[in-house]
Amino acid sequence: MEKIKLENLHFSYNQETPVIKNVSLSIEEGTYTTIIGHNGSGKSTIAKLMIGLLEAQSGSIIIDRLPLDEAHIHDIRNRIGIVFQNPDNQFIGATVADDIAFGLENHQVPSEQMQNIIETYAKKVSMSKFLNSEPTKLSGGQKQRVAIAGVLAMKPQIIIFDEATSMLDPQGKAEINALIQEIHREENLTMISITHDIEEVAHSDHVIVLDQGQIVMEGKPEDVLMHDQKLIELSLDIPNALKFQKELWKQGVKLSPCITMEKVVEEVCQLRFKN
Amino acid sequence: MPITFQKLTHEYNAGTPFSYLALDHIDLNLQEGKITAIIGETGSGKSTLVQHLNALLLPTEGSLKILDREISASEKPKHLKSLRKHVGLVFQFPEYQLFEETIAKDIAFGPKNFGASEEEALQRAKDVITLVGLDESYLERSPFELSGGQKRRVAIAGILAMDPDILVLDEPAAGLDPQGAKEMMELFVRLHTEFHKTIFIVTHDMEHVLRYCDEVVVMDHGHVKTTCSVSSFFQDPSILKEMGIHPPAVVSLRESLREVGFEIDASILTMEQLAQAVAKEVGHHE
Repeated sequence: MEKIKLENLHFSYNQETPVIKNVSLSIEEGTYTTIIGHNGSGKSTIAKLMIGLLEAQSGSIIIDRLPLDEAHIHDIRNRIGIVFQNPDNQFIGATVADDIAFGLENHQVPSEQMQNIIETYAKKVSMSKFLNSEPTKLSGGQKQRVAIAGVLAMKPQIIIFDEATSMLDPQGKAEINALIQEIHREENLTMISITHDIEEVAHSDHVIVLDQGQIVMEGKPEDVLMHDQKLIELSLDIPNALKFQKELWKQGVKLSPCITMEKVVEEVCQLRFKN
Repeated sequence: MPITFQKLTHEYNAGTPFSYLALDHIDLNLQEGKITAIIGETGSGKSTLVQHLNALLLPTEGSLKILDREISASEKPKHLKSLRKHVGLVFQFPEYQLFEETIAKDIAFGPKNFGASEEEALQRAKDVITLVGLDESYLERSPFELSGGQKRRVAIAGILAMDPDILVLDEPAAGLDPQGAKEMMELFVRLHTEFHKTIFIVTHDMEHVLRYCDEVVVMDHGHVKTTCSVSSFFQDPSILKEMGIHPPAVVSLRESLREVGFEIDASILTMEQLAQAVAKEVGHHE
């Protein structure tokens, strides 16, 4: 089922320079979509349009078969959770437990249920031991885990990660990417991640590439990421697996195309076995 | 002349209930004329260590020899201003420290503080703005109109305007997109090769350490865990594993291939060499 559908979307901040130009896309229920593009390509604007923080000049947005308009905006926002870029700006509570509870309190969840929900989601993001910790005692990656737990506790149907790993160090990044993939495997959630991390893209179901407010490439990562020249032209990274395959090619060794390191290792093992 | 730390200790809030031992009797020799990476977990003492290089922090015990002077805990240091002219320190997220009306004035602030005339200082601003990859037309603009990456360049230009011999950067690429980070690191390589600056970079990014740095210092709980060349450091990923640091992609691929039985030399550090080694082994059985 189509969970999100954008049709002929146009948006500009100042009526002159369009930021989003005629964007149409559809996202299937339960899939993990990544959106990439260099700074200023319109990635984050699309996320803000989807949750109704910005209003498009023309075109339509349909989420869960509901049009995003005044009548449905609250209904739609209840179905979408969002995790932002800066872990420090979204930590609201005095402790980890308070922070996870914040959204639940706003939704008047009875306090006898609350403790149970907090513990469940803290466990899900491996933060059970830190329930009484203050934010200053946590690393960036841990703070993002808490933000994710807070979003999951609201039982959304869609989660948007808006550059949720870009301010983290490589360890924090790897931690959160692994958690995102785990949630994707275990929950039937529609997930959209706006990212610069090409290795994360390689692990998603679907990728959308934006440039100057337009979709320039779209499809399965294994198809899109193969266009390495095009990615370089767009100032984007290419996956390490692909860099390695190109070097192998120069040595006369041809692998079936693969975009993750795990797959590369598998492929060269098979090749060795065959020969 | 090397930079020498001798039994250097730094204790924050010494003698109070809040005291914290950030550096514990460090002995360390750092070479001039190189790009040196300072790595280690959050709280390991990296930033405290580098803030001693321009005497922004003073040792609470022990001493430090840098350029032609010695800074020790026992003596009250003199003439720190000239040391600070020679050692430029760029903090994390330096773009938050921009404050002037125009970029030219912001960059000229440092040289003027060190006694340059208005004219000389503005000339310095002109010289360094192009060095950081922005053109002269930026000089009369407000620093606050720029993108995050451009602001950071301006902040770094402000330090370069003082023409330091030694440049110390704390996480200079943090928060930039991959293209911005690459350009930033290439700028430091250029400052090193063309202008012979000694460069220290505090970083978490092992790809940057491998690609751009010569030497590495690993900090761990206020001690120097190891110091060696980058190439020998990545031959043995056991320290990385022990410290929970992600190795560069080429090193993790090399180790995965070794684990599944490929006979690949541990000194390999580029995708090109790795491909050659794999091709050799795959081809052997033909």
